[in-house]
Amino acid sequence: MGDDSNPLMMIVWILPIILFVFYGQQIQLFVTSREIKKGIKKLDGFRVDSRTELINFVKNNLKAKDDPVKKIDRFLDYFTIMPVDMDPNGIVDKVQHIVRSREDYTREQVKLLAPQMSDIELSKVQTLLEIASSLQMIHKIINHMFLTAKKQNNYPLILPLQMILPFIMEQAEAMNDAIPAFKTGQPVGDGIGPMVVGKMMLDSQKETIAFQTSLSKIDFEDRKLFLIKAEGPGSTVGRPSDGLQKIVSENKLDAIIMIDAALKMEGEDSASVAQGFGAAIGGIGTERFQIEAIATSNEIPIFSIVIKQSVKEAITLMTKEIADTAEDVSSQVYDMIRANTKQGQSVAIIGVGNTAGVPQ
Amino acid sequence: MIFKKTKITTAYTLEQCTKCGTLTKRKFREGDVLFVEISKCNSCDGATRIEKIFGETIEQ
Repeated sequence: MGDDSNPLMMIVWILPIILFVFYGQQIQLFVTSREIKKGIKKLDGFRVDSRTELINFVKNNLKAKDDPVKKIDRFLDYFTIMPVDMDPNGIVDKVQHIVRSREDYTREQVKLLAPQMSDIELSKVQTLLEIASSLQMIHKIINHMFLTAKKQNNYPLILPLQMILPFIMEQAEAMNDAIPAFKTGQPVGDGIGPMVVGKMMLDSQKETIAFQTSLSKIDFEDRKLFLIKAEGPGSTVGRPSDGLQKIVSENKLDAIIMIDAALKMEGEDSASVAQGFGAAIGGIGTERFQIEAIATSNEIPIFSIVIKQSVKEAITLMTKEIADTAEDVSSQVYDMIRANTKQGQSVAIIGVGNTAGVPQ
Repeated sequence: MIFKKTKITTAYTLEQCTKCGTLTKRKFREGDVLFVEISKCNSCDGATRIEKIFGETIEQ
């Protein structure tokens, strides 16, 4: 039994209270900092590894003219300044212009590393470069936020960083794990849309309808089907909106069906298939905007089929569960065509996603 | 859990004979892409086509 009037016991109780009242934030800052430091160290590892993988890929697989390290390091530091959005009128066209200019410029510069490289190799290098520069940017931003909070000794400033770090780490780990799949040209989870449409395209004539975008015209139960997907097996998502625009300018469409991978919610089963309405396409939003604009001005309904998966599954080697949904999705597409169109009508079917390892 | 299990993913290629439909699963080889006819079927004289490429993960 303790004695409440014992001065030593009073100090034992009061000292921690005083300590926490005056130095509570600093203690929390210290504990949180340790956790964040661990995350930053991991991010730095990802940054270094992805850069090394990219340099090794270029050195070993391509006959580079000169030492590519200096050029690659310059590419990794490229930044993009998004257009001013104070007046949002016309912003989509501006964003699309900037993003496409960046892609075109990067492609040309990468090609200069080894002029004789094939388009497939070029798309691999571009994707690896995109991963490496994203990981570099993530590391830079998180490190900046952390150092700023530490410099100011500001605990509230470190709180948002602590909250977002698990999500950032999930994305960064997914990107890091995606490198082997893109290096070897394996299909990724996001490629399920192109995989379904690519299979429908087999044994039919293909044409290039837009940049890195393939089109096949087939007949199905007295309906005309326009099958669109990115041109595989290189790592690209193509420009499906440009392809759709071209089709609509020459033909009357009665429905658009889009097949894409979608991020699953926590608790949802991976590789579950769902149907819905509206344009199923991710990315920065410009492609979706264009497809919606085409559909609206021509009064074409858009139906979608999505295959649910996590961020990691979407950009790493396709899992067996996702690959096994291909037959089911394909039969759902045909059911959708029967249910929503009549004989003699035309439908555009777009397989959205990265077509690495998925030809047509 | 004190020790975290390591996950190892192995890539597989699933080939299907276009004539008799026989399925063959083998390890992925660099250069494999979907829908390409690559070899002769062991059961008949048909050609096999790559139907699926996927990864299977095991915990160790």
